[in-house]
Amino acid sequence: MTQANMTRRSFTKSVAALGAVAALGMGAARDFVAVDPAVAAESGQTTIVKTSCRACIANCAVLAHVKDGRVIKLEGNPESPMSRGGICAKGMAGIQALYHPNRNKYPMRRVGARGGNDWERISWDEAITEVATKINEFSDKYGSECITVSTGGGGNPHFTNIPRFAAAINTPNSWEPGCAQCYLPRQGMAQFVYGSGPDLSFADNNGRDYYFNDSEVTCIVMWGTDPSNSSVATGGRAIAELRNREQGLKTVVIDPRFTMDAAKADVWLPIRPGTDVALMLSWIKWIIDNERYDEEFCREWTNMPYLVNPETRLTLKAVEAGLEGTEQDYVIWDPDQNMPVVVQYPFNEGVKAPLFGEFEVNGMTCKTGGQVLKEACEEWTIERAADICWLDADQIVKALELYTDPKAHSGLMQGVATDQTPQSGQAALAALELEFLMGNVEKPGGMLQRFGLAPIMEQLGMAPQALSKEKFLKRAGYIEHKGLMYWDMAFIPDIMKMMIDGDPYQIHMWIERSGNKHAMLGNSLQLEKAAPNVDFIVHVYMYPTAFTRMYADIILPCTEWLETNLVIQQFNTVMVRQAVTHLFETVDEGIIWSSIVKKCAELGNEHCAKQFDPATAGGMPLPHDEDEKIAQHMGGLPISWEELCEKGVYEFCTPDEFRHYYGYKDIDPATGKPAGFGTLSKKCEMYAESVVTLGRTGMPWATSAEEPMVLLPPASEDYEPVPYYVEPAESPLNDTEYPLVITNGRLPMYHHGTLRNIPYLREIYPVPELWINPVDAEAYGIQDGTWAWIESRRGKTRGKAKVTTCIPKGVLYQERFWNPEFLDAEDPTPAFTAMNYNVLTKTEAPYNPEFGTYTLRGIMVKVYPCPEGAPEGTWTEPADFEPWMPQPSDPTKKVF
Amino acid sequence: MARNCIVVNVDRCTGCYSCEITCKMENGIALGEHWNKVVMVGPFGEYPDMTRYALPTMCQQCEDAPCVHVCPTGASYRDEEGKVLIDREKCIGCKYCMMACPYGVRDWNAASKTVEKCTLCGHLTAQGELPACVKSCSTGARFYGDLDDPDSDVSKELAKYDPADIHTLEDVGNHPSTKYIMTSMHGEWKERV
Repeated sequence: MTQANMTRRSFTKSVAALGAVAALGMGAARDFVAVDPAVAAESGQTTIVKTSCRACIANCAVLAHVKDGRVIKLEGNPESPMSRGGICAKGMAGIQALYHPNRNKYPMRRVGARGGNDWERISWDEAITEVATKINEFSDKYGSECITVSTGGGGNPHFTNIPRFAAAINTPNSWEPGCAQCYLPRQGMAQFVYGSGPDLSFADNNGRDYYFNDSEVTCIVMWGTDPSNSSVATGGRAIAELRNREQGLKTVVIDPRFTMDAAKADVWLPIRPGTDVALMLSWIKWIIDNERYDEEFCREWTNMPYLVNPETRLTLKAVEAGLEGTEQDYVIWDPDQNMPVVVQYPFNEGVKAPLFGEFEVNGMTCKTGGQVLKEACEEWTIERAADICWLDADQIVKALELYTDPKAHSGLMQGVATDQTPQSGQAALAALELEFLMGNVEKPGGMLQRFGLAPIMEQLGMAPQALSKEKFLKRAGYIEHKGLMYWDMAFIPDIMKMMIDGDPYQIHMWIERSGNKHAMLGNSLQLEKAAPNVDFIVHVYMYPTAFTRMYADIILPCTEWLETNLVIQQFNTVMVRQAVTHLFETVDEGIIWSSIVKKCAELGNEHCAKQFDPATAGGMPLPHDEDEKIAQHMGGLPISWEELCEKGVYEFCTPDEFRHYYGYKDIDPATGKPAGFGTLSKKCEMYAESVVTLGRTGMPWATSAEEPMVLLPPASEDYEPVPYYVEPAESPLNDTEYPLVITNGRLPMYHHGTLRNIPYLREIYPVPELWINPVDAEAYGIQDGTWAWIESRRGKTRGKAKVTTCIPKGVLYQERFWNPEFLDAEDPTPAFTAMNYNVLTKTEAPYNPEFGTYTLRGIMVKVYPCPEGAPEGTWTEPADFEPWMPQPSDPTKKVF
Repeated sequence: MARNCIVVNVDRCTGCYSCEITCKMENGIALGEHWNKVVMVGPFGEYPDMTRYALPTMCQQCEDAPCVHVCPTGASYRDEEGKVLIDREKCIGCKYCMMACPYGVRDWNAASKTVEKCTLCGHLTAQGELPACVKSCSTGARFYGDLDDPDSDVSKELAKYDPADIHTLEDVGNHPSTKYIMTSMHGEWKERV
């Protein structure tokens, strides 16, 4: 039962003693360790430990009440400047997650063939030795690139661990189904064209001005984002505060779903999934045509007036223009002299260089960057966008009037929605260009802010220079989709192809750390063809999943957030996440990776032996143990870890010091000139020439152990420097067999594939709702509250129909789901096929050129009634979830 | 006599269910049982003027509480501070109060075979703390205090709004104390849901 009714259970000797065989799931629930008497002594004292949540990426500050070593209650910690004492349903579920009876508790080895459900407990030493031995054997036999490692966003991950670990064992093939489909396009594109750190993702801790109640913001555009779902107690809270100020807040929500944010918006644009770039292009055109842009900012702080060389498609340089100057000097047109002149950074005094137009220079007709952008938008009238995006033209204009009101202080935030289509890169670029056009850069009330950075290392760095050049050149998909290199990740469709066909080489070993690959990987039925061909599979996670049950050979148990140490910047503070308890034999994933690499080295792997020494580890040595890991995280923070644990929330600077506007105008002492932005030109690169260079050469991200800059062959086609629209490959404009467009999107009680095993959350939302407009429901014979089949060209699955005008006609919505209740069934397949959106999604071409994004939103399906309902064994009633109620347990000693 | 109750600012609420699960964790409520339940209202109206909001429901602390009137044993009672509560020892499980409650916010405890409901976290407020759902609310949408005390959190929040934006669930003569703040900015309040 819950903490109020917790009673100290009598501890029996572990039933899963070493060598005994047990099933996963329910069977493991009886698997307790004998209690340490010193710990078990009941003091009756309750202490409050300050920590922070990791049920999603918001990191809300938490007060954990601990009695006799057990966590009995969680509360929000009001000291957090972002969550301010709030804590959402996912965070409150922390106790049910921590003490879930089905935690992976010990290293386990599969007994018998895959497909069965027999496992034996093994020691950590045995497990690590077996994994390390396999790594060394496969590396010697086939080359270390035959090993792939993967992670995923939900469930207490440390993102950079996976590429760092991959480099340590010298494989280029690290990947995660987020990445190109979540955040990399927005972050990577911002890196190229803004270059100063922040981007437009509010859920990823940007838009920090909006957490100040006196922010000057008056209007926010939420493009494919729903803070009320995706960052409930931080971003959702901030928006709630701003909306409820006396002056109010105008909001525009662009989302096919009538989310809670849409319901509170001034304008809701229920866009057809997959068409966002068309609408963005119409916005750019409207802003240019109506002269709503910030002319001074565009001229002096973007490369819009820079001339473009039509032959190179890069900005024209002084030497190419026949002017005195270098290959680094940019060129603008001086209308007074009627001739090209070299840019004098930051800008030529008094020169009113045109943003638009084309000019004859040195025998070439050169357009300005602004002109190229303008022409790219030429066909995108509001009417055309309304037609393509299934929107009302008047509502689009109403939204634009709010966003571009000369008296407004506006900002645009962009969510994950556009990252999940092949136009991910174009959408990221176009959204940034809208903000640049409006001059919404580092000014009060703006979204893009370069506020202070804490002297810590929250994510331990990746180490691309630990990977050998030979292996780097073998990374899956690296030539076509070079944007993946920003996160040192491989291209998933090629990884799957290698598993299925061995083309160009076979993947023999897979080390996977995430919630459930079957639920989060696009077109997840492909795993049935891929995973069986992999000789040895290791799964590192807190719970068994469909993937574990079906394909893992070894399970390594990792820690929940209440067992984890980390430091986190929130605003002008550093917050602690500290291990409040430690259960069974769980180990922090970072220490698991170090332990494997160390063992590989001990067993003779020379590459692995280099990974602990800063001089040979690509600048990012692996920590030997938890203390070293904490020291790396703490960086230059002027207090000790123990002091931070005591304080919980530490102010590294005052809010006023943190809140620094117009960073680009700060004088750089080295040059005596304004610092500008972190791009090559120090300008906001409206004309994204760095993207063109990336596609042709891999610069600046192609690097390796032997060569800091590796020159890669070009992609088959140039990456484009300005956005363009491509109709989705599967489109309602021509699809008669699968007539409806489907999308997914966040809920407040789950994060990615996590928490479907939490009783109090599942009783709120036991099965996924299929949102269908009443017109479509009528047409396809679907009744509210009944089950429906949803079928795409990849597969079919079910959803429980919710007939609602929260979704427009022609569009369906269902969030990702899986059913852990089937893990112990003789056939566990329904765990990932019964009601899983991702058996529908599309991982075939076309892909986003820059980042390799496949299609998770905006695919075509058909729906029809499913009179047989959910499969037998689906848990839908509250009492069904009783076996998952927490089984409190005493703390154990650390393993490593 | 004080009028302690919960006030919810629906304009701030985003329907995250934090209060629902916080209540269950704090009070050890079994699966399937609720003292605090978030009801999703809408959508109604036609695009682009649709209304949808989240309505957290719990004991409304009626001034003239039907549950107290119908209880045959005095288990449902009003304490000296004016709070409507249930004395579990006296409850015989007849469920009359559940039928009398206009809002369906009382629930049956299958284990103890008694009726239960929101206690305004009396065990916490007695220690000077806020009710758990108020303290942990993700968006600062919940308030607790005495409507008759102008310095209470509830009075201060209500004072910020036009009386036309302050609502109750349908009053059939029981005079619910709990107030819901919802301005026309976010749609049209529905008295009955």
